[in-house]
Amino acid sequence: MQNKNYKTDIIPGIVIAIFSIGYLALVPGIQTFTGLGSTPLTNHFVPYLWGGSLLALSLWIIVRGFRRRKKYLAEEGKIEKTSLKNALMEQREVVASFIALALYVGLMDLVGFVIMTILYVFVQILILTPREKWGKTYVPAAVTAAVSGVLLFYIFRYLLNVLLPVGVLKFFGL
Amino acid sequence: MVLQGLMEVLQPMTIVLVAIGTVVGIIFGSIPGLTATMAIVMFLPVTYSMTASEGISMLMALYIGGISGGLISAILLNIPGTPSSVATCFDGKPLADKGEAGRALGTGVVFSFVGTIIGIGLLMILAPVLCDFALKFQAYEYCALAIFSLSMVIALTGHDMPKGLISAVLGALLATVGLAPIDSKPRFTFGLYQLNNGFALVVLLIGLFAIAEVMAYAETVRQKQDFTIRSNVKIKGVGFTFKEFVGQIRNAVVSALIGVGIGILPGIGGGVSCMISYTVSKNTSKRRELYGTGIMDGVVASETANNGTIGGAMIPLLSLGIPGDAATAMLLGGLQIHNVAPGPLIYEKNGVVVYAIFFAMVLAAIFMMLFMLLGMRFFVTVLKVPKNFLLPVVVVLCAIGAIGNANMIFDTYCMVGFGLMSYLLIKSKVPTVPMILGFILGPTFEQNLRRVSQLTSSDPFWNHPIFCVLIIATVFVVIFSARANIKDAQRAQAAAQQSLKSGVGDK
Amino acid sequence: MKRMLSLLTVLVMLLALAACGGNGGSSSNDGGGSSWPEKTINIYVTHAAGGDTDYMARQLGEALQKELGQSVVCTNVTGSNGATCMQQYKDGDADGYTFIASNTAALNGNEATGMVDFGYDAFEPVAIYGIQSGENIVVPADAPYDDLEGFIEASKANPGQIKYGTSTGGGVYIQTCVMTNLGGAQFNIIDAGDAANRLTALLGGEVDGTSLPYSTAADYIENGQLKSLCTCLSKAPTMMPDQKSASETIPELIVDTEYVLLAPKGTPAELVEAMNAAILKVTGTDEWKTMVNDYCCQDPFVLNVADSAANLKEQRDLFQSFVPFL
Repeated sequence: MQNKNYKTDIIPGIVIAIFSIGYLALVPGIQTFTGLGSTPLTNHFVPYLWGGSLLALSLWIIVRGFRRRKKYLAEEGKIEKTSLKNALMEQREVVASFIALALYVGLMDLVGFVIMTILYVFVQILILTPREKWGKTYVPAAVTAAVSGVLLFYIFRYLLNVLLPVGVLKFFGL
Repeated sequence: MVLQGLMEVLQPMTIVLVAIGTVVGIIFGSIPGLTATMAIVMFLPVTYSMTASEGISMLMALYIGGISGGLISAILLNIPGTPSSVATCFDGKPLADKGEAGRALGTGVVFSFVGTIIGIGLLMILAPVLCDFALKFQAYEYCALAIFSLSMVIALTGHDMPKGLISAVLGALLATVGLAPIDSKPRFTFGLYQLNNGFALVVLLIGLFAIAEVMAYAETVRQKQDFTIRSNVKIKGVGFTFKEFVGQIRNAVVSALIGVGIGILPGIGGGVSCMISYTVSKNTSKRRELYGTGIMDGVVASETANNGTIGGAMIPLLSLGIPGDAATAMLLGGLQIHNVAPGPLIYEKNGVVVYAIFFAMVLAAIFMMLFMLLGMRFFVTVLKVPKNFLLPVVVVLCAIGAIGNANMIFDTYCMVGFGLMSYLLIKSKVPTVPMILGFILGPTFEQNLRRVSQLTSSDPFWNHPIFCVLIIATVFVVIFSARANIKDAQRAQAAAQQSLKSGVGDK
Repeated sequence: MKRMLSLLTVLVMLLALAACGGNGGSSSNDGGGSSWPEKTINIYVTHAAGGDTDYMARQLGEALQKELGQSVVCTNVTGSNGATCMQQYKDGDADGYTFIASNTAALNGNEATGMVDFGYDAFEPVAIYGIQSGENIVVPADAPYDDLEGFIEASKANPGQIKYGTSTGGGVYIQTCVMTNLGGAQFNIIDAGDAANRLTALLGGEVDGTSLPYSTAADYIENGQLKSLCTCLSKAPTMMPDQKSASETIPELIVDTEYVLLAPKGTPAELVEAMNAAILKVTGTDEWKTMVNDYCCQDPFVLNVADSAANLKEQRDLFQSFVPFL
């Protein structure tokens, strides 16, 4: 049973290993400080420690993953294969949510908080609603989006002084 | 002086401000992305124009309300409202899933109150003694304390030890981004000045929990959903019996002491205290295997400890003028602005204000319990709101919290990045909670390790008994929990094989 | 043909002049003197709420709000000793509604230590509007020395034996470097973190001396646990005139932390002047004097635009002279 999980060992292990190698490669480029009160252990030491530990741990799970794969092959004899495309299609709501979220924060500075929030909330509600129920969702979703966008902007920008971006509404004197 | 302090707090105006502060604090605490610290930051300037007692009372109310409010979203949404309620999710969420949200909330609220009161009690009685203890903690001791707390990760992760460690190390590694401690040289900032401050804990928290929760829901969209079970919550009284309360007393006292102890030591904070207390409670309990499945004990451990931390953090703040975290640093500013200088002479110079603070804390704790118990019926209606409408609004609030943290839009980009990272880690079966510990303790460890490296020549480690004790304790914790983990893993494997064999036999 | 060309030239020049005139006219309409301010003024504070820089900025904002009749909103954009905020708003809207409130030690210190690659001249200085109660060099009360000279002599007698707590990178670091390089002190320099951490280290005996803001050390001095050797201000605060100045021992050891209001580069000079005039007015009241006396232990200290710039330049030049050994 446990052996079937070999994929969640190997793939993340490799990704994390590459990440930690990249991280370690950046460490020598960090400027050190040699003035008064400088410490014998420089600001390189702890990054090396964490980066090295992460690399070691990722190698651990890679090795464990390959062992499990071997055992799994011995038990089952074959390996199920799923393509990346299928996997992404299988989780299309998640993919769509991340794209919506990225667009939301990415365009917020330019377009402004109110408009982006209204668009985002509306789209995200639809993403989280099963296809067949969309018909009944449009109106409440639009109302939720509009109310939350305007109300939250007003509360946080004007009452609590959070610098939410005004964006294009600037031209309307807001 | 004591009576005078009491009179200050019993002014109608002060009572109203404490009530407002508590409610606002609870709201800030309960909304993911908005924290107790943020509530204090936003309202501190408002208190500039009040009298000392009014201003400080309101800030205390915000603090207590904020730390307590975090349990609401932790239990109902599985998203900790503040870093201090991370561990409340562990058992709060399963309880809510079983339809016992009322019981979980009631437990959390009552034991938050208990924790706060124990903290205040120790603050009032033992502050001078405990201050001496806090002063004993210097570079060596903090270094060892960070190692000791990090070793708790092993106990916290369960049977998949390497992945738990990966998570913790990844957290520590993320915390190295920004200006290095001690020498302020930029590390891993890629020339972006926005990264000089490093990542904010609240932004990481939003990414790890709030965004992850949205994605977990997104995965279930096409599955048949049943909204009715969980919204059908019955609440009787405070949700649990007196007998159950008595049964939790030992757990609560131990947790409160852990909370106060961590609070006294500047720089660690509620996020760590709830997790350590949960781990200790779990590993010393007879019902060890039930933790995480939805039992009161877990909620009690987390909520008593994080509220105990409030009283603990006030001890060095008032008696030494040393703030323990961002929230108490704000309080220090709030006190100084009213010409109340925290320090050894505070009782002599501003005794009235000090007692006013104590009574305001007690009052705020009572209000907190009152409002939250009364509000429980209202809170659980959140479960009736369809999640496809609720979660997008939660994301927007999180984005506001991320921006409001340092008034930088850049932090929302980090939020999305952490969300993606968290999703991929969860898919890889890497637990995300140890990351919070690594993220908080990593910098403490680095800073003090480097200071120790400066000191070793003139001040060797055997002069520091606390350091030695903590290191030995760490070794024991590591051996003990590693053995327990291996046993757990073996048992799980044996059980799996057993079922496999019997399955084959049946055929 | 030639005539045509010259005619064209004249026409173009006329047009250009008209355009200039038009622009000049409209800009003076937009902001010049009479109509400014006509909307909310934003002040971005470089340090966190609760600190002295924030408190002074908000006091100023409140007073200006009454004087100017428009709301003045203070927002904290914090981090990296103020560098984050300065970086973000140094090229902000030069419309006369955007200001940055900071302190001079952070502004000049960050440039000197190389944290940022710009100085005060990346901004339009509006006004210096106050001075801090200063940092003091403090030691335990039972230490055998009573002034900075004695402290440094003691370190020379036992090189590397006296542990001095510093905070690498900031104003305290500059001060430590000056003591070592220009004062000849031979301390064992140890990083002890921010003011609260330095206080803990001093009380806990991890260091033998350090520098603390007067407000942090005051109580401990009063109850006889610590004693102050000198202030690092150029002259002792008005409310505490009998303190010695460090510059009596080491002439270069001057760290004057003054509160300063800056505007983004390119903000029209007349708007800067108008803001400065408003500041001079609101800080001339008795109310302001009482506040400053209580909070900073200082008398009001407010400069006009030219003097503010000159003052910033003076401190910058002093700090830049330390660069070789920072």
